[in-house]
Formats: sequence, structure tokens, C-alpha cells
Amino acid sequence: MFRYKTKNDEVITPKTFLKPALFLLPFMIGIIVFTIYPFINAIMISFKQDYRVLTDTFSSYGMANYQKIFADPDFISSIYNTLIYVVVVVSISLVLSIIIAVLLNSVEKLKGLFQTAYFMPMVTSSAAIGLVWRWLFNYDYGIINYVLSLFDVSAINWLNDPKYSMICLCIYGIWSMLPFTIILLLSGLQNIDPQYYTAAKVDGAKSSDIFFNITVPLLAPTIGLVAIVNMISAFKVFDGLYVLFGGKPGPSYNLYTVIFYLYEQFYKNLKVGYAAASAMVLFVIILIFTMIQNRIQRKYNYY
Amino acid sequence: MKVRVEGLTKRYNNVTAVDNLTAEFESGKLIALLGPSGCGKTTMLNMLSGILPVSEGKIYFDDVDVTDLPPEKREVGLVFQNYALYPHMTVLENICFPLKIKKVKKKERIEKAIKYAKMVHIDDYLDRKPKELSGGQQQRVAIARALVKDPKLLLLDEPLSNLDAKLRIEMREEIRRIQKESKVTTFFVTHDQDEASAISDYVLLMKKGVKQQFDNPRVLYNEPHNLFVADFIGIPTINQLHGQVEEKGIKIDNCDYLIEGLFDTSNLVGKRVVLAFRAEALTNCEKGKLHCTVKESFLSGKDTLITAKVGDKEIRVFVDSNSEYKEESELRFDFKKSLVFLFDEESGERYV
Repeated sequence: MFRYKTKNDEVITPKTFLKPALFLLPFMIGIIVFTIYPFINAIMISFKQDYRVLTDTFSSYGMANYQKIFADPDFISSIYNTLIYVVVVVSISLVLSIIIAVLLNSVEKLKGLFQTAYFMPMVTSSAAIGLVWRWLFNYDYGIINYVLSLFDVSAINWLNDPKYSMICLCIYGIWSMLPFTIILLLSGLQNIDPQYYTAAKVDGAKSSDIFFNITVPLLAPTIGLVAIVNMISAFKVFDGLYVLFGGKPGPSYNLYTVIFYLYEQFYKNLKVGYAAASAMVLFVIILIFTMIQNRIQRKYNYY
Repeated sequence: MKVRVEGLTKRYNNVTAVDNLTAEFESGKLIALLGPSGCGKTTMLNMLSGILPVSEGKIYFDDVDVTDLPPEKREVGLVFQNYALYPHMTVLENICFPLKIKKVKKKERIEKAIKYAKMVHIDDYLDRKPKELSGGQQQRVAIARALVKDPKLLLLDEPLSNLDAKLRIEMREEIRRIQKESKVTTFFVTHDQDEASAISDYVLLMKKGVKQQFDNPRVLYNEPHNLFVADFIGIPTINQLHGQVEEKGIKIDNCDYLIEGLFDTSNLVGKRVVLAFRAEALTNCEKGKLHCTVKESFLSGKDTLITAKVGDKEIRVFVDSNSEYKEESELRFDFKKSLVFLFDEESGERYV
């Protein structure tokens, strides 16, 4: 008979398992229907050749979908673009967030106001934010070009010149990543015992000494966590791109990201197999990065 | 370094944590700031370190006014109650940190750190992280970190309160040894009178922010200035009998006799008083002044401690271990010349 002992020496039998299982059921159903089944199905589809979504028919299992997408220059460049985006956006937003979070943490007056202000973008829809940024980047009326003109820099056609597409996307990405990152880092900062600062101050440490020798190392676990979460979300960049360039991956289809590629294959070309295969490629990339991150992360467990 | 405080006062809103405290502390001594919790001893320590600004009064280090100097300019080493060792640094890095901040060369600072690590007997654990150390070891690291920058003043905030009983005794002797070896003027905060008496050269006893007495622990025990000091210092707690001074002697409440000729009380007639005496201040004597009924007797080490009733109060007395003390038997004691005091009942002020 099925018996299992937990750490606390409680014996679990099918009978005792029934009640907790009932509690778990609603959530499990959700996970199975919306995550596990689609995930397994996507793996299957990615190996089905000539798959037709409407009739659910295919000719045979094989690697054809993968061969096709890896032969597609748009897909290769989408991986390339996504990687650049992830590295640039995650690193810059992290550095900015650490600085802002430390500053916010040391503000005493109007702390609540500042924290709310920095958190606002988080509760605003990304489509609205994208539209605002479209205006900011506007060639003729945008405030960015206006500010540049004050410094005698001639107007840049941010959104229509392919040269600048990536920069636009990264600026937007960094900006929208800040609030969540700042909030998490702030909570990390608030977990640092202020006695470490006092101790360092008595030893004559300046603010910069304290920042680099104490704050950053003690914040490392939180930084690591935020880095993983942000990286995963950055790999899935899509909505910003869609809104910024009016539904196109860059002004001249020059800025495919993996998810955008997937989206086009699925909805525009109805190549479900290609879409599934590209999803699998992205999945593997994210998995590898997360594992590396996790490995590094383990070094920073002090307590 | 000699330390002097004049009229030192700290107020939080309407609470006065330290009240008009004046004292002078000799150089190179181990000084205990003692008192029940909330008496302002940690506040006092934090004002000495400069972490806390003073409300009023002055602090002098060797006759230099440091009242307005920030902590880093006062050359003090501070050991926190929970040690505040940086968890991401090894023992060596922790001890080196104050020197690193001062931009001392790496080789030099390691040499110095190792010197102090040896002094506090932690040199076998230099590569460990704080979480891999026991409480006592963390304490040693914290002391080494405070000493490594050659402070003129070492301040320890409740250094022993996070340790278990056995380690506490070991560490307090260690603190004594380290202090004598380094010769740094040292203040430590404690609420344990036993701890303060055992290791310090001087004890500053405080109550509700007010200095009660500042003296050598022996003097504190033998010659308390008031009832609070007498009551706070010493184990077992000093015996206290309330009563009234009459023409011919002291009448203890609920007793039908007078204690005559103990003190010259001619100018205290009519006053309510507390007759206080240490447990070892009585001698068994057939015609003794104090009558009591034995309740229980305990053997404690080489001594026998009995509890006895005087009127409706209970007293504790150390007695000769060779005789037997039966329960409910009547005993009479005489007072020795020392360790017997007379305080005012209301103010606690000492008369004799």
C-alpha cells in the first residue's frame, strides 16, 4: 500500500492525502489546463511536420520545423536582437534601480510620495506607456528631440530610422523595468540591519565606502533574484516593440525578437509548428541562463 | 584616555533618558555602566561614541571637548550588542575593515588584524564567515574589530547578554584580560550587577537616567549611598526591615521590642526608616538585638544560608555551617560593625 513518511514523521496514506489534495485541486486544475497541457502540447507540435491547426493534422514527427526556423535569417536575427536587449536592459536597469533604491531608502521626508511615484508605471498599462513613449520619440513634436535641440543636436528620427530602433526599444524597456526592480531592491535594503551602517560609520566609512563594501554585497541576494526575474521577462519582450512601432518589429521589419517572430508565425502566417519550435528554442535559452544565474546566486547566501 | 562628562543630558520628547550626569573616568580602566533596563546606560554609551547627539552638557576626552564631534573623529571602538559583524566578510576581512576604510596598506592591515585576532584568541578562524562562529567567537571578532584601529576608547554595549550562562563567565574574564592587555579605557553596559562587580574597576550605577553612585565595586557594596544602590548590588539581595526610630532605638514593624544602641539615632526620632544589612552582617548571639524565627536553611557551597522571619518580613542570613538550624526555632542575632545601614524610608537616602 502507498505509504509515505514526512520529515515530521507523519504518515501519509491515500486517506490522509485526500483532504489536502482537495485544497490543492483548484489551483492544480488551472496549472494543468493553462500551463502544463499547453507546454507539453507545444513540445509535440514543434516536432510535427506540416501541422495544420484547424484540422489538427500533420504528416510525421521530425525536426523540420527547427531546420526551417534556423534557416530563416529573421529568426537568427530575432535571437541576436533578444540577447542584446536582455543584456542591455537588465544590466542598465539594475544599476539604475540600485542607485535609485538606495537614494529612496535614505530619503526621510515624503518617502511615501516618492515610492508611490516610482511605483506608478507598474500599475499603468504597457500599451498606454508605449503610446506615451511614441509621442516622446516623435520626430517633429517629441520632447526628446526638443531637449536634444537645446544642446544643438539635430533631430533624430527615432522611430522611423532603423538605426535607432534598438535604442528606442532599450530605453523603453529599461524605463518600464525600473519600478518593479526598485520596489524589490527597496525591500531588500530594508532587510539590511542598520547596525551595519552605524558600525561602518563609527569606523569612519564614507557613504561610498558603505555603498560598495556593505550595501551592495548585502543586497546581492536580492540583486540576484531581481536579475533572474528581469531576465526572464526581458527574454519575452514583445508588447513594447508592438506598441512603439505600430505593430511592426521596427520601422522596416528590422527588429524581430523571438516572441515577435513567434507571434508573426502563429497569427500572420499560421505556421503553428514554426511558432512552437521557436518557443522551444527560447525556452531552452532561458533555462540555460537561469541555471547559470542560480549557480552564481548560491555563492551569496550569507545568513 | 581620561573621560569626563559634565551635566550630560539626553531627552527624547518628554522622556529624559540621561539626566544631568557628571563624572570623571580615569584612563586605562574598565568601567561598567550598570542599572536596570531603561536607566539610560546604553544612551550614555551611545553619547560617548557620538552615535547619539547630546541634549545638554559636555563630553571631554583628555580635556578636549568632543561633544560635537561625529563618531568617526572620536577614535572610539564600538562593540554592538548583537556584534554587527558583516555577514559577507570573513573574520579576517571583518577585523581588517576599519583599516581598509582608513586606506592602510593591505600587508600592514593584515599583520595588525592578525595581531589582534591573536589577542582575542580567534586566530584559528580567520577564514570563517560570522555565521560559522559561535556567539562567544563572534564576540571576540567584534572586540578585535573594535580594537584594531587603536581606539582611545572601547565601548561595549551589553557584550555578554547574547551568550549562555557558562560562556558569559568565560567571556567576562576574557574582556577583563583583553582590556588589561590593551590598556584601552573601556566602558561596558550591563544590567547584571554580578557581572559589573566581578570585572570592572569602577561602576557607574544609574536609575532612570540619574547617577546613583560611581565607585569601585567594593565600595559600592560596602558603602552604598542610598537604598537603591544597596538593593541593586549584591547577591543575595540586601535584607530590608522597615521601622520607625523611637527615643531609645529602632522599632521594626510588627515586632514588640526595640533595637537599641545600634546607631546613634538621637536626631532621627520619629522618622520612618529602612534598616538594611547584608546576609553576612549578622552573628549568632544569645543576647542579640534581632529576634527571628528560622524558616528554612539551605546549604550553598561552604556556607549555610537561612531564611528567617522578623516580624512579617523575611531575611536571609549566612550562618555557621557547623550548627544545626531547625525550622521554627527561635534565634537571636547581633549586628556586625560593617555592612549595616540605615536609610530614609521615603527618599532612600542613607543616614548611617
